[in-house]
Amino acid sequence: MATKKKRTANVQNDSWVVVAADSVIDTQSPESDPAFVRLRNPFTDAASLYMLGGGDVQLYEVKVFEEDFHSWFVGQTVQRDGRLLFVTPMDPLYLILPYLIKAGKEGKFQPVDQVVMDEELPACSRLLSCTRSLASMHQIAEEKEVGSRKFHRYSQEKTMNWLKKKVERTVVALKKRNISVGEGVKSTTYVRVKLESDCHEEDYLRYAHGLISEYISEDLSKALLKHLQLPELTSPKETEPPSKKRKLSDKPVEAGEDYTKFNSADFARKPPKKMTAAQKTLSKVDKTGMKPMSSFFSPKVKAEKK
Amino acid sequence: MDLSPFETDNSVSCRLASQIPDVCRMEDCCLGIDEAGRGPVLGPMVYGICFCPVSKKEELKGSKVADSKTLTEAERENLFQKLDEARNYVGWALQILSPNTISTSMLQRTKYNLNALSHDTAIALVQYALDSGVQLKEVYVDTVGPAEKYEEKLSQRFPGIEVTVRPKADSLFPIVSAASICAKVARDRVVKAWNFAEDLGEVDTDYGSGYPNDPKTKAWLLKYLDPVFGYPQFVRFSWSTAQTLMDSKAVTVHWDDDEEDGEKAAQRQKNRSMLSYFSASAGVNDQNPNQQTHRFLTERRLKSLNTL
Repeated sequence: MATKKKRTANVQNDSWVVVAADSVIDTQSPESDPAFVRLRNPFTDAASLYMLGGGDVQLYEVKVFEEDFHSWFVGQTVQRDGRLLFVTPMDPLYLILPYLIKAGKEGKFQPVDQVVMDEELPACSRLLSCTRSLASMHQIAEEKEVGSRKFHRYSQEKTMNWLKKKVERTVVALKKRNISVGEGVKSTTYVRVKLESDCHEEDYLRYAHGLISEYISEDLSKALLKHLQLPELTSPKETEPPSKKRKLSDKPVEAGEDYTKFNSADFARKPPKKMTAAQKTLSKVDKTGMKPMSSFFSPKVKAEKK
Repeated sequence: MDLSPFETDNSVSCRLASQIPDVCRMEDCCLGIDEAGRGPVLGPMVYGICFCPVSKKEELKGSKVADSKTLTEAERENLFQKLDEARNYVGWALQILSPNTISTSMLQRTKYNLNALSHDTAIALVQYALDSGVQLKEVYVDTVGPAEKYEEKLSQRFPGIEVTVRPKADSLFPIVSAASICAKVARDRVVKAWNFAEDLGEVDTDYGSGYPNDPKTKAWLLKYLDPVFGYPQFVRFSWSTAQTLMDSKAVTVHWDDDEEDGEKAAQRQKNRSMLSYFSASAGVNDQNPNQQTHRFLTERRLKSLNTL
């Protein structure tokens, strides 16, 4: 059984196992099928997969469950990848936000259709046709109406308040779902005598903040942390380990942790004293076969076996 | 011998037994244990016990039961018939271990090898005889593995019973020969009329002896190799014959208790390969290290997708 199994490259497959919200297929207009689109992920700033359903009315995010050693049996076929795709509704504002922030640096009011543009990912303009996009733009931007046209400018203050609301709603959802948010592993069978309610609240807030941070840039995430009045955690990871390199010196090399030396007789190792001139000359003499003076005073020991 | 209890579901282990003769409950009895079908890659392994009063030992000798391997199939059937006729003083019991039981035992996460499976089956059968009220005093066993160790194991398990474990016990003690005949007859019948649980259509039953070195068996194994599922449950998947064929002809399947080595395994175990320290971009993640996915997602093995 010492055969080595070689993993063959994943073959492209044309079917997926998907769990999707009912609304994905439940569209008013039958001719507009939901479609996978590549849009800019605000967290990674790279392209990720999303889904637009019902004639671009609703945005969905696509997440995949992936673990080693899984495969599907689908009807009479085997699907090699054991992946499970989740298509869940998502607020399009998260995806519009990065474009607005970028344009907001100029400080001008602009029409959104000029702001939400991406040469690499042209599909982003379709975000604006989602029912929730334009209607909720006021959450993250100041609005101005000139004639029949609307102009927007990014507002950090509004955005922070909007994100704070998101965090608070997430906290409610987390509590409802009984999601363990505390540090460390909690056993469901372990019953705490005292409910640490106040530190609990911060755990929930922090956890929810972390979850929301999956949908915003790092800078926004940090700003939101301040806005929520949560102190930044310093993870032990950031502190650099002490450099292993030792400084070169003339001192003799010694093991850093030498436990043997405390057990040996010369435990109290004294620094070498300066020798007198007489001692110096004596040290140069060949003393082989000579007994130290002290040996003449100690009780007689049996001759050592050599 | 009514094999229908096994044939209704041949994927599990099944016990068949004769009536317990009344004498066996009254008089001191001897019991023989033997097995049939240990080596083949096809079909079940059958464990058999046979017991009779110690006083009837000579009568059993008279019926010329001998080592089942020296007999033809017809002779064995004949002898089983004789044992059946002697039912007023000879009893038997069988444990049919389906090929599926053998496969799943040997290939499960905590391996359960064939010797352990054999020993446990033998012990269970002796226990069955005791539970049925048979007055056991002597037990004779054909050995599996080193005889002394096995004898010690059985003696400890059954204090008060004189256990004799010998290689070739089936030719030394008539009661073991009788047990071997019961086991062999049951195995022959089961293999001959195997009910395939799989939908294979008209099955070619010309699979030879079922032993790995039989060319007919090999040809049959090749013919019925499914690239995805491997074999019907009739085949012992744990046999190296079956495994080598599957490794070379069927689709590779990975399990998470596969022993792997090399860089991929190291990566899976979050170890860094020594090689990574020498390559140009020493183990740099493709993502920004500060950008850690939230634990809600990592705990649930959820990821974003770039493309389908």
